[in-house]
Formats: sequence, structure tokens, C-alpha cells
Amino acid sequence: MANSGTQARAIPYLFSLPALLLILALLLLPMLISLGLSLTDYTLGAPDVEFVWFENFERIFTRSTYMKMLSATFWYVIIVVPGSIALGLGAALLINSLTVGKGFYRTVFFLPVMATLVAMAMVWEFMLHPTLGIVNEGLEGLCAVPGITAIGFFETGCADGFPHWLGERETALWVLCFIGIWQAVGFNMVLYMAGLTAIPRELYNAASVDGADSAWDRFRLVTWPMLGPTNVFVLTITAIRSFQAFDTVDMLTEGGPSKSTYVIMYAIFEKGVQQNLIGVGTAITVLFMAFVFLLTFLQRYLVERRVHYA
Amino acid sequence: MTSDTATTPVSVPRTGFPSIPWIELFKHAVLMVGALIVIAPFLVMVSTSFKSQNEIESQSGGFFGSQEQFVDHFCAANNPAEECVATPVIFNYSTAFTRVPLLRFLLNGVIVTVSIFVCQVIIALPCAYALSKLRWWGKNVVFGLVLFCLLIPIHAIAVPLYLLITKLGLLNTYASLIIPSTISVFGIFLMRQFFMTVPDDLIDAARMDGISEFGIVWRVMAPTAFPALLAFGIFSVVAHWNDYFWPRMVVTGNEMIYTPPLGMRVYQADLEGITYGPMMATATVIVIPLVIAFLLAQRRFIEGITLSGMK
Repeated sequence: MANSGTQARAIPYLFSLPALLLILALLLLPMLISLGLSLTDYTLGAPDVEFVWFENFERIFTRSTYMKMLSATFWYVIIVVPGSIALGLGAALLINSLTVGKGFYRTVFFLPVMATLVAMAMVWEFMLHPTLGIVNEGLEGLCAVPGITAIGFFETGCADGFPHWLGERETALWVLCFIGIWQAVGFNMVLYMAGLTAIPRELYNAASVDGADSAWDRFRLVTWPMLGPTNVFVLTITAIRSFQAFDTVDMLTEGGPSKSTYVIMYAIFEKGVQQNLIGVGTAITVLFMAFVFLLTFLQRYLVERRVHYA
Repeated sequence: MTSDTATTPVSVPRTGFPSIPWIELFKHAVLMVGALIVIAPFLVMVSTSFKSQNEIESQSGGFFGSQEQFVDHFCAANNPAEECVATPVIFNYSTAFTRVPLLRFLLNGVIVTVSIFVCQVIIALPCAYALSKLRWWGKNVVFGLVLFCLLIPIHAIAVPLYLLITKLGLLNTYASLIIPSTISVFGIFLMRQFFMTVPDDLIDAARMDGISEFGIVWRVMAPTAFPALLAFGIFSVVAHWNDYFWPRMVVTGNEMIYTPPLGMRVYQADLEGITYGPMMATATVIVIPLVIAFLLAQRRFIEGITLSGMK
């Protein structure tokens, strides 16, 4: 009996051992290695390694390549996050208030979330092709509309041709942001739809008793405050996902033209893997991890401090 | 559309005709514009995969193309012209499968995603069971560790993992695609949360029947957790079928272990003078399996993919 008791006591450890080992080997250790290597000039195949301390980080904050990386990442996140959240919330509110067709719109808007992004990136590239693509063809068609050349964009576009989108420094990042938003809207919409159904109907009745009659009043006084937890969650997850943008960059621009789309995840890949500059690659990784942890702690803080209504 | 049925909350004026629900129509108009932009690349992709290169370049042929037969010049260079007559749609799709081993890519996609999911379940379920239904010293520490690891995105540890794979000599193998994803702390967390809701009586009854703890995990808990497992399965399979970042790092040569997203790279390499028809056919073949599965089981998919919302 004593033997079987010992066995029973060992069972929880046996059950969690494989998971624990893998967590250590594939998650915690690599993270520590990242931290360690970021302070060195390590490269694969080099005979010796030297500690360079914060030289890699210093480089990130002084060299123009990395300044461009920070700026591209910043603009990508700052455009995609509010864009996809606003459109996701808007779509959720509109769809939720419909009498017919809810399921149809939900399905359509969710399609890009499912679809393989690299394949769809190639389709967007084809659509944005300067001569064959339907985007510029459509824009040229609009030139026939009288008075449209009053808009600056069309004035230059109709006269000198429309942008080469992915080939130009001024537009490439915008295109990637657009594709990023295109993909994320459906995801955010579904989260908001779940958040909306969780709002008790009585609150709207109570608000209307108190004189909140217009749709805007209902939104301002009931919907928006009650969506607090959903907002915080959607904001964090969209931000973290935007920081991870890689597929479209590698497929469509490879960081160019002139580093205008050199986002952080592509920089990690290019430095750490393609150019074998492990030290710099891991230093950028550490920076990325800092962003992610910061965002998550901000989320936890907000959830605990401000957004508990229900 | 339904404004003439009695059940809609539309006020009916005295004339007997229903008033036109302008607001509802306006909402539909806005959503339709959005839906059109969202769905446009899918339509372009499918339509282009039906067309001949001439129709693509002259932007003609309607949605399905005219399907007029043409002579494949590449083939005609070495063969008599009459053997090289092709119908655009057949040409595009057969080129998609013959120019690159697309079938092999799809098979690789299945092998990798299924192996990853099976490993994740085998490793996560016993741990989740121990964390939810057994009492032991150190349980809270392990659970704390799981919660902490939820914060680590694979992107953040990609470079050291890549070093590990390289040092082990595993670049360009299935193992390199599968191993880093065998542990899913999210899976452990999710199954633990689900197991917490399973009544202890069920487990006690199983113990009375002489089922071992191991048997309880696989023959009692796993079947009970089927809905959660299914949702997690969809989450895992979709994520890894579409994943491009990790395969891009560890598969550098060897086309025979390309996953479907890597298959698209073949077309990226030679954009000049490219044949868009076969390229779009390839994209369609890669995207369509998940889209069909999604259309068949929408609720499950939306549930599964937004699972990360449970953290």
C-alpha cells in the first residue's frame, strides 16, 4: 500500500514533467539566451564571442537604419491599431443593429482572418500593380468624373499617373497598413460582437427612462462604458499583433523602398537570421519583448483599475 | 426585404403601405461597401485563376474569362503546336500543380499542422489535469509559470530557437517545423480552465471503477472536454497552416518540406514576366481548404480563432 501511495504522489509530477521540460527548453531558456546574446557580438560559426555590453542597444538608438525601423514600426502600429479597432467596432455596432443579414456580414468580414496572409498579400500586390491592377484602373476610371481633379490626389494622379503603391517610399507603408487593417477588422469585429451581446438589455431601458433617447446617447452612456474590458483586450491584442507584422513585409517590400517598411519583426529576421548578426538580432528581440510586456502590464493595470463595471 | 412582414418593428402608416426603413437600408449600404472591399481580393484571386494571360493583361473576359483555347508558347517551343492547345482554367490549375510540387506542399501542411496539434494535446492534457484536479506541492508555481509563459510570443524567442535548431542540425527538416510548437502553454491554460468545471464526482466514480489516473485523463477527461479540444484544434490548425514566419526561418532550401505559405514564395521570386493565372490558382488552392471548412462550421471557427480572447 505504501508503494502505491508513493506512486499516487508521483503522478502529478509525471503528468506535468513533459510540459515543464518543454516550457524550460523552448520558452524560458531561449528568452534568457536572447537576453544574454543581446550583450554580445555572437555570430554563428565565429570562433569566439565577446561581451560588448550595451553596444548593440546603443547602435539601435543611434544608427539611422534602426531609427528607420523604430519609425516604420511606430507608424505601422499607430495606424493599424486605431484603424482596425474603429472599423471593427463600427462593423459590430452596425451588424448588431440589423434585422436581416447579420450572419452574412459576419461571415464576409471574418474571411480575411482565416485566409493565408502571404497568399492574400500576393493578390493585393497584383491588384495594386501599376498597369495590370484593378486599383489604378479604377482610379483612372474616376478621372472621367467631372470636377474630381479638384482633389489634389486626383489632380496629380490623372495627369501624371497614379502611385506605384508598393514601389514608392511615400505609399508603401500605407499599403501594408491597409492590408493589416483589412485582415484585423474581422477579428476585432467578432470580439466586439461578443462584448455587445454581454451588455444587459435593462441598462438601455434604464438609460431611456433617464432621457437618453438618441443612438449617440445610448452609445455614449451605456455601450461604450460597458465595452471597457473588451476595449482593453482588443487594444492589447491588436497592438501585439501589429508589432509582429512580418508576412506582408517579407512578401511585398522586404523592408523597402529605402527602409520605409523596415518593421521590427522583419529587422529581427534580417539581422538575426539572414545576416547572421545574432547580437543585434537578439537586442532588437529584447526591445520587442519589452514592448509586449509593457503592453500586457498596461492591460492588466487597466483591467484591474478602471474597467470593471459589470 | 422583410419590411412587409408583420413582425418587423417598422411603424406602418395609415395608408397600409409599410414605410421604407431608410436607416436600415443606409446601414446595409455602408456594410455592403465594406464587404465589397473585404471580399475584393478573394474575387480577384478566383477570377484571375480562371483567365488566360491575354485576358489578364487586357483586363477583359468577365469574371470567369472566355475560356477560349490558346497555344501555350512554353510548351510549343519543343512540341507540335496542336498538342499545346490549352483551356485557361485547366492550364492555370495544372501549371499550379506541376510547376511546383503543390500537392506535396499541401501534404506537408497537413503533416505539420496535425503533428503539432497531436503533440500539443499529448503534452497539455495530463498537465492540465494535474493542475486542475490533483493536489500536489508546487502546483501553484507551475501554474504561475504557465501564466507567465502566456506572455511570450513565439516571435520573441525566434532567434535563439533558430540557433538551437541550427546547432542540432535540424534546419530543413519536419522536426524543425514541429518541435518549437509542441508546447502550447495556451493549450494547458485553456484545458485547465475547462477541467476545473468538470465535477469531482465523475473522477471519483472512475477511480472506484479502478481506472488508473492515466486512464482518467484519456478516457474520462478528454471525451468530456471535446468541445474545448475542438475549439483549440481549430485555433492551432489555422494558426500553423497559415504560419509563414517560423517556416521562413528554418526552411532555407529543400523544396520538399515547404509548407503551403512557403509555396507562394516560388512566385514571389520571379515577378517579372510572371504568369498571373497559375500564381492565382496556387493562392486559391492554398486559401480554399480553410475557407470551405470555415463556411461549413462558422460558429466553431469563430469560437476557435477568437479563443485567444480568453486569456
